[in-house]
Amino acid sequence: MATPAPSKRIKTLSVSRPIVYGNTATKLGDNRPPNAPVEHTHMWTIFVRGPQGEDLSYFIKRVVFKLHDTYPNPTRTVEAPPFELTETGWGEFEINIKIHFIDDANEKMLNFYHHLRLHPYYDTNRQLIKSETNQVETEKAVNSEVQSIFFDEIVFNEPNEQFFKILMSTPGYLLPSNKTKEHIFSKQLEQEEIDRINMGIDKVDQEIEKLKQKLSEQIKPEP
Amino acid sequence: MSSSDIFDVLNIQHPKSSSPPSNSGTPGVPRTSKPQVTGIQRELYNLLGDNTPPVVAEKANKFKDKINALSKPSPWTYTEFQATPSLKLRHWVKGSKELVSGQLQQSAFDKYNKKLTIPSFTKEEFESFMNKEDTIGEDPLQWTFEEVEHLFDLCRKYDLRWFIIQDRFNSKQVRSLENIKETFYKVCQQYFLAKEPDNPLISSLNFPTEKEVERKKYLSRLLSRSAAEIAEEEALIIESKKFEMAAKKTLNERESLLRLLDSPNSEKSISQYLTSQGMSQLYNSLLMDKSRKRKHDSVIPENPWMKQQQQFAQQRHQMQQQQQQQQRQQQIDLQQPQPLEVKGEIQNSALNKKTKKQKQEMQIAIKRKADSEYAEQLLKRFTPEERKALGVIAHGEKLSPGVFLRSAKISTFKPAVQNKVQATLQELELPIRPAMPTFIVVHRQEQLLKRIAILLDLKKQLDKLEAEKSITK
Repeated sequence: MATPAPSKRIKTLSVSRPIVYGNTATKLGDNRPPNAPVEHTHMWTIFVRGPQGEDLSYFIKRVVFKLHDTYPNPTRTVEAPPFELTETGWGEFEINIKIHFIDDANEKMLNFYHHLRLHPYYDTNRQLIKSETNQVETEKAVNSEVQSIFFDEIVFNEPNEQFFKILMSTPGYLLPSNKTKEHIFSKQLEQEEIDRINMGIDKVDQEIEKLKQKLSEQIKPEP
Repeated sequence: MSSSDIFDVLNIQHPKSSSPPSNSGTPGVPRTSKPQVTGIQRELYNLLGDNTPPVVAEKANKFKDKINALSKPSPWTYTEFQATPSLKLRHWVKGSKELVSGQLQQSAFDKYNKKLTIPSFTKEEFESFMNKEDTIGEDPLQWTFEEVEHLFDLCRKYDLRWFIIQDRFNSKQVRSLENIKETFYKVCQQYFLAKEPDNPLISSLNFPTEKEVERKKYLSRLLSRSAAEIAEEEALIIESKKFEMAAKKTLNERESLLRLLDSPNSEKSISQYLTSQGMSQLYNSLLMDKSRKRKHDSVIPENPWMKQQQQFAQQRHQMQQQQQQQQRQQQIDLQQPQPLEVKGEIQNSALNKKTKKQKQEMQIAIKRKADSEYAEQLLKRFTPEERKALGVIAHGEKLSPGVFLRSAKISTFKPAVQNKVQATLQELELPIRPAMPTFIVVHRQEQLLKRIAILLDLKKQLDKLEAEKSITK
């Protein structure tokens, strides 16, 4: 593999690309694949894709999923889009995802984990819990698909010029303006999130002010 | 075990067996030469084998060397000397007899025998200066002239050694030490008032009788304490010291707390310090600051961004000035070329006077500016909307190059703090990881986390203070 001559990095500039990764899972019913072991109860698919299912192969060369060691050939490499992998299983575990970028990028691979989810989480009141990461759940009947999907941004800080050109050739940061069932991650959701955090900041600021007053009262020398 | 066993173990050929048999024919010779030894010593000799120790220890002479004096002893003479006018004694003096015994020697310590000059007066004199102010006359323990005279004699004789004077003092009445002292100083004062009223030392002759009595009473009380009282007192002192220490500590803490309240929270992200280069820069700047910030003066920490801006402004200003200077130079150059060169040189030298560090900083700043200008240049053709669509940002900061996930840049805390932060986030009904970690969201999240950290710190301090107060109560 001939690596191209590393061209100069563009300082103080960063390019980001949104991605969505996660898994969907369904219970194995009657349509059980013939080669699935008997103890397997679910069929799941793990994927890495664009927020609207865009093709990311213009900067991603391959994605490597490292499954639990009990699977045969636990390291699965997906060389072409769609970057996804379907398997059957009975248990949840951490899947290691490695994203390799195209050679022109001259970047190291990106390495992170995803917790495979097979079961919907309920609290005691039979209310579907929004999981701690506040991933958006699509609530359906108990028997239907379970989703655990995350949004993130791949940031190329100071990319080299060649890669920069490639990135600039495609407007890769297009989010739908409104939330829809198919594409939840949108400008609307982002704005909601910002508003929520801003409200949190305001609350914390108020608390800080209160505490500050209390403190200065405490510190004041008693007459 | 003998030496031969060791030789066997170490696989060394026995020197005897290797030597020709003619030597082994006389084994008795070394045996007889060996001293007769028993016990452990014999074992030691066995281990040693036929080897003789390499060094023979010699017994040192235990006597001191004789003094070999090169010089002749100097002569000393036993001579008489005048110890006091009435007493003659003899002592050893360095020097030959002819040199020393010429005349009667004064004692060498005579010069140290100093006498106090205590005033003497007749009865008439005494009455004349004492009658002016009838101070002593009113005293119930009336002092007569004879008594005063006797007292002054004693003072002269015993050099104001008051306890001896009191002891030797013969009088009809029993006089206390304070009374004696008081009288002596009063009489002296009156005497000097009559004789040289301008003497500035007269006021020092005031004798504070009351205070003396009080002091002695106090001392006697102090010395007559019981063991239990002493122990209690010591315990109290220790206790009070503890209180003092605690008070100091709380004062310090309070001070730091107040500082915490005053200082504005820095808005700058720490990511620029995450690289080793950034670290070393930070370290250097801290090192520079150390000497200045020792005293915790309440200087508000300057905003680094503002600083940079100022630097840019300064640079621009300087460049403008330089340009103007050059223009002017050129203008005047045409008129009179000679004296102006000197002026230009002065200007240059002034510029050169900038410290190395400043230069470096300037260079970095210029480079950074050039970099960001280049980046801006690249993005010139894009409108803000387009930029957003392309996901490209010119952040203008020094961040380590490379690829990362945006959500990975959300700052974390120490485990203990992290738990509290997460609890706070839950209270606020906010997720620990934002659902959409975009650039803006992560930025806001960072702000939130920073504030939560401050909040937690304040809470901790407040709890501490309240606990302290309840203890002191």
